Amino acid sequence: MEVTVNAHMPGLVARVEVQEGDQVKKGQTVAVINCMKNELFVKSAHDGIVKKILVKEWDEMEVGSPMVTLEAP
Amino acid sequence: MRACSDLGIRTVAVFSEADKKAPYLKEADETYHIGPSNPVKSYLNIDALIDAATKSGADAVHPGYGFLSENASFAEAVTSHGITWVGPSPAVLHAIESKCYCREIAYHNGVPFVPGTLTLVKSIDEIHQYVQVQGCPIVLKLDKGGGGKGIERVEGPDQIKEAFERISRVGVLAFGCPDCYIEQEILQPRHIEIQFLADHYGNCVCLGERECSVQRRFQKIIEESPSPVVIPKDREALFQYTQELVKRMGYQGAGTMEFLRSAEGGFYFMEVNARLQVEHPVTEFLTGIDIVKSQLKIASGERLNFRQEEISFQGHSIEARVYAEDPVSFDPSPGIIQKVRFPETDGKYLRVDHAIEEGGNVPPFYDPLLAKVISWGSNRMEAIDRLKKALGEFHIEGIQTTIPTNLMILNNPKYISGEIHTGFIGDVYSQ
Repeated sequence: MEVTVNAHMPGLVARVEVQEGDQVKKGQTVAVINCMKNELFVKSAHDGIVKKILVKEWDEMEVGSPMVTLEAP
Repeated sequence: MRACSDLGIRTVAVFSEADKKAPYLKEADETYHIGPSNPVKSYLNIDALIDAATKSGADAVHPGYGFLSENASFAEAVTSHGITWVGPSPAVLHAIESKCYCREIAYHNGVPFVPGTLTLVKSIDEIHQYVQVQGCPIVLKLDKGGGGKGIERVEGPDQIKEAFERISRVGVLAFGCPDCYIEQEILQPRHIEIQFLADHYGNCVCLGERECSVQRRFQKIIEESPSPVVIPKDREALFQYTQELVKRMGYQGAGTMEFLRSAEGGFYFMEVNARLQVEHPVTEFLTGIDIVKSQLKIASGERLNFRQEEISFQGHSIEARVYAEDPVSFDPSPGIIQKVRFPETDGKYLRVDHAIEEGGNVPPFYDPLLAKVISWGSNRMEAIDRLKKALGEFHIEGIQTTIPTNLMILNNPKYISGEIHTGFIGDVYSQ
């Protein structure tokens, strides 16, 4: 099943902390959003393997913008 | 822009995509779009800023606070286009970017500074060696950090590796430089800074201190002048240290020397802020001197027309910063301002500087500062009461703000008795 990890706050992508093919656990930080000069951690709601990274540093995020897709078991 | 208008100077404002409807643009004579919302492509984009300055035919650039306001490369680009930079020269800015350079100047000129290393630490081993001799806790600081970023507290030797790696990473990402040095931690410090004006003729006048000990995440939230703890003898010494540092740095313009005061009452030079500061209005209330106008006059080559002994400090002034943040967790709260009602200002005891309007958007890309509410009273309690009344009248709907935090601080018995230090907010919330 494919799931996406979405931005929970608006802002700019500060960095993506995983690479395609990585195994991630539920609750793990996959990306960081810079919102009003604050670093906010975007966490995965599922265990899974990173399928595709959809964003890069400095991309503008809105609430719900997809950031990473995972293949979840 | 108000200071310029008073002096008969026309103004040009720049804006990004996110700020195209921002209220400040209405006050400018001309406006220039400099790029997308992303600050790297607009407010931090030197080429775009220089382009706006040259196209508009501007004589001078006032860099404000934040973004490139202390950036030597930007100052250099401005002056190399024949435009006046409102601030210290690019060469001075470049030198004082390094906190170790400033610490050396303090060391060689008898100004007490926060104990620690005078040179950069290059390895984890070096930090271990320092800690073996001096003990913990220590603070790792980025040599070119600022704005509360690039500070890592180390409580024990086991934290050294992680702290060093983290600070180096932040340094590269945020400031383009991983260099750091060590400071001994000063326990329960108070943040006390001296505002100064220095002209091109060797005159330097200090406009008193500001106490900025009430902070969250190393960023100020309430500032006041005078400080409840600075006695005349301390003030005299701080003025002397400031004038010495300004002279040795070759600094011209307005600026601030930041000091820490230990619980035992010792003062230690920390760093210089080479720009106008957010909290400058409290000093303006006390001295009656317009700091922005003074900056413009100094930049146009005028001499300071007052001497130190002519400066007098009247009453007490306090500033509360209103941020777009959750009042308890301080999580950011961008969004649309549905409704706003400002406190009533009389221009005499209360000043509200702000960047908001009803229906306006607070974008997630920039600093969360929305407004500054500054009160004046004949004594500290009167200033506190006036500020509380003003904050009580200030209503912002649609986003969360730190107005409740400000009121909670101003009602706190420890704040009222002046017992504050930089960990004050953390202590209050942990109770």
